Amino acid sequence: MSAGRLPLLMLAFLASASSTSGEITSHLVITPQSPVIQIGTNFTATCVITDTAETTADDLYWNLSQIIIPKNQYTKINESALSVTILVNSEKPEWLYCRSREKSPYISVNKGKFIHGILLTKVYPPDKPTNLTCIATQVKAFIFSNLKCFWETAGYHTKEMSPTTYTLHVEHMIDQVYNVSTKGNSAQVSMGVFPFHLLLDVWVVAHNHLGSKESEHLKKDADWFVKTNPPSGVKVLPDETLPTSLLINWTPPIVKDYFILKYHIRYCLNGSDNWINVPDVDIAEDIQSFRLQNLQPDAVYAIQIRCKNTKKDHGYWSDWSPRVTKETPEDRPTSKPDLWTIIADSEHKNEREVTLICRDPVFSNGRITSFNLEIQTQKENIRNGSMAWDYISVNRSVADSSQSQMVTILKKISLPYQSYMMVHVTAINSVGTSPQASLGIPVKTHERNLVENLKVWPQEGQLFLKWNVTNNTSVTEFIVEWVSGIDIDWQREKRNTRQAALKGNIEKFICYKISVYPIYNGWKGKPATIEAFLEEGAPLEGPSVRLNVKPGRNEAELVWNGIPLHKRQGFITNYTIFYSSGNEIREITVPANITSYVLTSLTGNTKYDTWIRASTIRGSANGTNHSFTTLKYAPGEIEMIVVGVSLSFLFVVLMTMLLCIYKRDMIKKNFWPWIPNPGESTIVNWSPDYPLKPETPKENCLSDISVLDMDVNDDKSVLEEDKTILALKKDKYLSEEHSSGIGGSSCMSSPRQSVSDSDEGGEIADTTASTVQYSSVVASSGYKGQTPCVPPQQVIFSRSESTQPLLDSEENPDIVQEGSRQSQLFPQSPCFTHTAWNQDGASSSKFNQLEMEPQEALLSLDLCPLAEDSVLTTPADRQSAPLSSYMPQLCGYRSQ
Amino acid sequence: MKGECDMGMTFRPSETSSLLRTWALLPHFLCQLPVQTSLALLLLLLILLRSPTASSSRDQQCASSVQRTLKLTRLIHTESVDLIKTYRASQGDMSHLFCKVSIPDVPEPNISGLEPSERTESILRHLRVFSSHLRRVYEQQTDLQRPDSGLLVQLDTVGERNRGLEALLRNFYRDVFPNLQDWPAGAPASLPPAQNTFQQKVYGCVVLKTYKDFLLNVCRELRSMRSRVCRGRRNFL
Repeated sequence: MSAGRLPLLMLAFLASASSTSGEITSHLVITPQSPVIQIGTNFTATCVITDTAETTADDLYWNLSQIIIPKNQYTKINESALSVTILVNSEKPEWLYCRSREKSPYISVNKGKFIHGILLTKVYPPDKPTNLTCIATQVKAFIFSNLKCFWETAGYHTKEMSPTTYTLHVEHMIDQVYNVSTKGNSAQVSMGVFPFHLLLDVWVVAHNHLGSKESEHLKKDADWFVKTNPPSGVKVLPDETLPTSLLINWTPPIVKDYFILKYHIRYCLNGSDNWINVPDVDIAEDIQSFRLQNLQPDAVYAIQIRCKNTKKDHGYWSDWSPRVTKETPEDRPTSKPDLWTIIADSEHKNEREVTLICRDPVFSNGRITSFNLEIQTQKENIRNGSMAWDYISVNRSVADSSQSQMVTILKKISLPYQSYMMVHVTAINSVGTSPQASLGIPVKTHERNLVENLKVWPQEGQLFLKWNVTNNTSVTEFIVEWVSGIDIDWQREKRNTRQAALKGNIEKFICYKISVYPIYNGWKGKPATIEAFLEEGAPLEGPSVRLNVKPGRNEAELVWNGIPLHKRQGFITNYTIFYSSGNEIREITVPANITSYVLTSLTGNTKYDTWIRASTIRGSANGTNHSFTTLKYAPGEIEMIVVGVSLSFLFVVLMTMLLCIYKRDMIKKNFWPWIPNPGESTIVNWSPDYPLKPETPKENCLSDISVLDMDVNDDKSVLEEDKTILALKKDKYLSEEHSSGIGGSSCMSSPRQSVSDSDEGGEIADTTASTVQYSSVVASSGYKGQTPCVPPQQVIFSRSESTQPLLDSEENPDIVQEGSRQSQLFPQSPCFTHTAWNQDGASSSKFNQLEMEPQEALLSLDLCPLAEDSVLTTPADRQSAPLSSYMPQLCGYRSQ
Repeated sequence: MKGECDMGMTFRPSETSSLLRTWALLPHFLCQLPVQTSLALLLLLLILLRSPTASSSRDQQCASSVQRTLKLTRLIHTESVDLIKTYRASQGDMSHLFCKVSIPDVPEPNISGLEPSERTESILRHLRVFSSHLRRVYEQQTDLQRPDSGLLVQLDTVGERNRGLEALLRNFYRDVFPNLQDWPAGAPASLPPAQNTFQQKVYGCVVLKTYKDFLLNVCRELRSMRSRVCRGRRNFL
């Protein structure tokens, strides 16, 4: 019987035993029951049918995670056992089921008895821990009780199903074994008393359900694992007699009975991280003091020490001791001061303003208290006299003295263009004087321009320079100077140098004006200069724009100042001018060298907002907003309008005046028509005594009527003068007037009389005038060849169709005469009777009688045509009546 | 053939400087001879060198073992000196008189025997005895001192170190005297009967002082043994 069948038989036995007890839960049993399977291997499970004949091995099938396993993985052992082999290749735990097909009602009813499952626990085998390392760290003076070990693990782990546990074993010679277990990669063993000088055996065992693996054994002296504390009580002592050395004392962390220590010593200038290690060969074992040598005088040094077991590969280096700083004693300056000049044009013509500056010697070896300065100019050279040294005292704090880069302004002098000078400077500290530094400034015209093609570029946070030299023979060194605002710095380069990096603190976004000066035999040459940024950025602010002058109607001149250097942060590539008068924003880009611009094509009387954006290659910034409103009128436009209007008005006035002057007669006639003065009419002299001559009526029967040409005053004077006469002749006049037939005579009912009446009674006069104008009757042919005795039936009256005023017709005497004649023929009484206008107040009653109410007058005027009609219809009758009372009336006027 | 010898033969230097020089010259010398002769000479040389090399290794092991034992003895002696100071400081007044008393149960610090093995056995016996006495002192001081007393820590440390020294010396004894009995049997330590506090204080001080003196003697003995035993190891083979 094979070994593989034995578990099956046992399982069958167990199943049968359980069935006899009546506790059958399943007719199928899987073996093994709770397997732990190594991932990546094949696993075989067997399903055994127990205590039933309802199913056979042929009816069984396997399920793995609800998936039926193919039959080719089955192996039929016998009629009641079926095995399956699967490859376990995933970490995920799965259930493996053995099931039976429902080939009978019993199986269908008792499904639960024909299914059995096991959980497959999948794990990786433990891996051997590697790189075991242990450290015993010093806790107190002589206590190293804890041993902490670390190791590495490789391969895969199943943390959930079967995590790997690591057990650290430490054993030493007195058969003491310490164990500690962990699931991590480190553990710590507490041994009570650390077994110095005894062998320790350390190893790690990794184990899980699949077994265990042991690491390599670490069999070492216990000293091998020790990491002591750093040396304590480190003291540094300066030696006044040796300004370049410091003595270090310390206390070892343990006595040499444990083990002998060796040391590492390092030092650096305080504030620097550039540590200098003392060579191991210079440091003896088991020492407690050391003297540092070749240090800088008057420099603060930081010192640290660490220690370790002397034996090779035994123990670990301790941590570094805390920094201990100490200053070396002072010594006289051993290098020259760094002399330099700043030369600028003086206010005076043909002079240079020279500022002598210098930095302390690199090896000042103490606090510089003063400088000695000697200036040798051309004049002194000629005199060949020895100049006295200027003693320039320097008051510096201790903090300042630590900054060797600090610049001291020695002196400012004016140097003519045509003069040269040589400057000598020495630095002095409390111990002594430095070597002498010299620099010559040649005549301006003799400055040699040797540097050319200066280029600068940023690289890795530094500014690099490159230049060429036309003639290298006389150059002794180069001075690279960079200026930003009021800050100036410089560095010296050797004569063969053509490329250098600025060693100062070069900041981003700051414009540096970099110059390379050739120094030939101690004389300063003419520099090559360039501006550069280490890194450009967007400007911090835009330019402030304003108007240069008041805006015009269609244009405005904008002016802006350049952005301050410290806010540019880069080279300005261009300015963009924005202006808007509402929603529409227009922009204009101008070069960076433009600081003013005239906006044109603006709309008058409009508010504009404008701002300017300054741009660099890295970005841009907008300036402040400025608003302005364009003018409604252009400058001078109002003046032009006023002058034009004035001139036009003047012209009109002049033309009017000229017109009045040249056409005064016409105007006079039009506006002030000549009215015959009835007072001067010859009719007043007319009397009935005059024989009525049966003269042949003249063709112009009204020619004798004198037109009264007088004004009111005249009228009055006339009236006053004639008042008496008129009063005396009142009755006569009245009788004459009445008898003259003015009221009813067609000849005397002249419209001119009515017009003249208008001076006192405008309305009436106007009415009369209008009546006269538009009711004049033209005798077309009746007057031609008319005789006084012309039978009335021969007179033909026709109504005039003309609208021309009769006054105009008076310009033509012929027409007037004709009109007069026509008027004479016109019956006046029905329309208007004005004879009483010239009468005195006594006759006002008559006048009132004669002067009808205006309505009546208008009515009479309206009725005139009727009268005319009546005249037209009965001319003979109307003429016949006057003729009966005033016989000579028509033709009885005396000739004027 | 000379060319083949140059190509094929490489020798590594041995542990000692003399051997180093020998091995350095050997390839050149062998290459001057025929192959068979060279092989024969090489075999002979290896046979000759075998015994001294093994002996040297054992000497080194012996010296290393003695050196380690000596280091630990010095360390325990140093710690015992500190321990006595601490002990005196922790026992109150008149403590400077405690150690001047002689107690019969405490062994003498002297090492007995004539041969190195006998003296080594004597050291081992003393260490066992002192181990018991130190344990007794620790127990007594546990009742007299506070639990966090530094004296107890130091007593424990010295006791542990004593066990370590005993183990080291036992290994040394096995290595150096393999043909002797495995472990020198000795009478168990006779500890003093119940004591009062004063007696305990005196007893402890005497034990510590005697132990310190004994360690000093062990140091001397080990230094002597290093020169006598380890350099003449071939005589004991």
